[in-house]
Amino acid sequence: MTPTVPELLVGCATALSAQPNAEDAGLYTATRLRTVATLNVLIAQESAVGSAVRLWENSALRSLLGAGGKYGQEFADARSIGDGDCSLATLDEANARLRRLLIRLHEAVEAAGDQKLDREILALYRQMAERRELKLPAARPAT
Amino acid sequence: MTAAASGDGLGRRLEQYLSSLWDDDVRVANLARIPGGASRETYRFDAETRGGIRGLILRRDPVGSLIDTDRRVEFLAYQSFHGRVPVPEPVTLEEEGGPLQRPFFIMQRIDGGAPASPFGPSPYGEHSGAIGEALFTFLGRIACADPASLPLARCCAPPVPGACWSSALDEWEAIILRDERHPQPIVRAAMRRLRRNPPPPARRVSVVHGDYRSGNFLHDGNGKIIAILDWEMVHFGDPLEDLAWCCDPLWNHFDPSRVAGTISEEQAIAIWERESGLKVDAEALKWWKLFSAVKGQAIWTTAAKEFTVDNGNLALAISGFYPPRRHDRIMADALERLVEEGWR
Repeated sequence: MTPTVPELLVGCATALSAQPNAEDAGLYTATRLRTVATLNVLIAQESAVGSAVRLWENSALRSLLGAGGKYGQEFADARSIGDGDCSLATLDEANARLRRLLIRLHEAVEAAGDQKLDREILALYRQMAERRELKLPAARPAT
Repeated sequence: MTAAASGDGLGRRLEQYLSSLWDDDVRVANLARIPGGASRETYRFDAETRGGIRGLILRRDPVGSLIDTDRRVEFLAYQSFHGRVPVPEPVTLEEEGGPLQRPFFIMQRIDGGAPASPFGPSPYGEHSGAIGEALFTFLGRIACADPASLPLARCCAPPVPGACWSSALDEWEAIILRDERHPQPIVRAAMRRLRRNPPPPARRVSVVHGDYRSGNFLHDGNGKIIAILDWEMVHFGDPLEDLAWCCDPLWNHFDPSRVAGTISEEQAIAIWERESGLKVDAEALKWWKLFSAVKGQAIWTTAAKEFTVDNGNLALAISGFYPPRRHDRIMADALERLVEEGWR
């Protein structure tokens, strides 16, 4: 998993509050401050849409795993994995369980040569990745 | 800043070490840390000797790192390619690290240029054509160097041509399985697909820089590459590994029509083929491109894990947060496309 929002914010605070060595002044410190700024833009995106993205993904995973019920009862049972209190932490916990099941289902689908479900899984991967992608703040191009 | 003003005594330690190494009374001045790669602490400084001032770079092992690499291998890479392509001259290597607390090496400093930020738009402006020509010319030269004739051969054994792909995939897959904090179905699917659809044997076993891309070289702002840097992942293997990594969409500066923010992929391949004397197998390159995203994901997975240990290291934070999301997208798009093209 990529670092969580609390981990990243603590990291920024730790970096900014650390006593710098004299040789850190200049370019290194300037770069560190730019990195904090960039991280905060990315953290803002994750905070704004993180819950919605995870709720969507967990729902899509339950639905697809249900369609793979013929490969094992554990996949059909995925519908019972709930989203808890919908905090990022509980959504991630459910997401981890669902993703582990998806990995096993995909292996079974590939072994069976089930091209239809294979393509459905690949399409879901694309949608998952698309929704989780983060956008960097625009920088000025070189002239 | 003089060495005496340095915070943790690094400057004084450097003065003592270099004075002993060169049997001279060395003064260290202008010691400053620079953001030079996430796998080593990098410092620039001037060494004032009886013979004059030498501009130098210190690369010291960090406490936590993006990926564990061997500084001796990196040092030998600089020895191997100094004079063949623009790389700094290596000066000294200390593997025990006593003089500066952790292992390190020192190399010549090349002034007058800067690296591009890998995630900024159009970093080379009107000089992107010239930069692209140089970038893929130097990569072709690296690919055509005879591994057995290089200092690197003292520490690395080349794989047989048919094993280049599997040894590379084995290495990065093991890292993902070791460091993964959250299940990653996309990269797992990519790794299985790579094993089911192996590339042909390497046409030549070559030196692979390992991280050859936009952002890992200095350019002078006028279309000239003055130093190829960051050789810490160098190894022997299929030279298509470097070509594919350099063409990975993660490094395209948000312009899919150009690789590494420079020239079209067709132009890049033509330059590389001319310089290396090798013909690119299109099917093999497809394999190495998907592999590049897997390798990237392994690096970002390790960064995310290391960040939990070294929580103030922002290079690890951003490496573990932003690029893995893009590489998931790149991999997912590639998987759909390759299956459409007939991959099993």
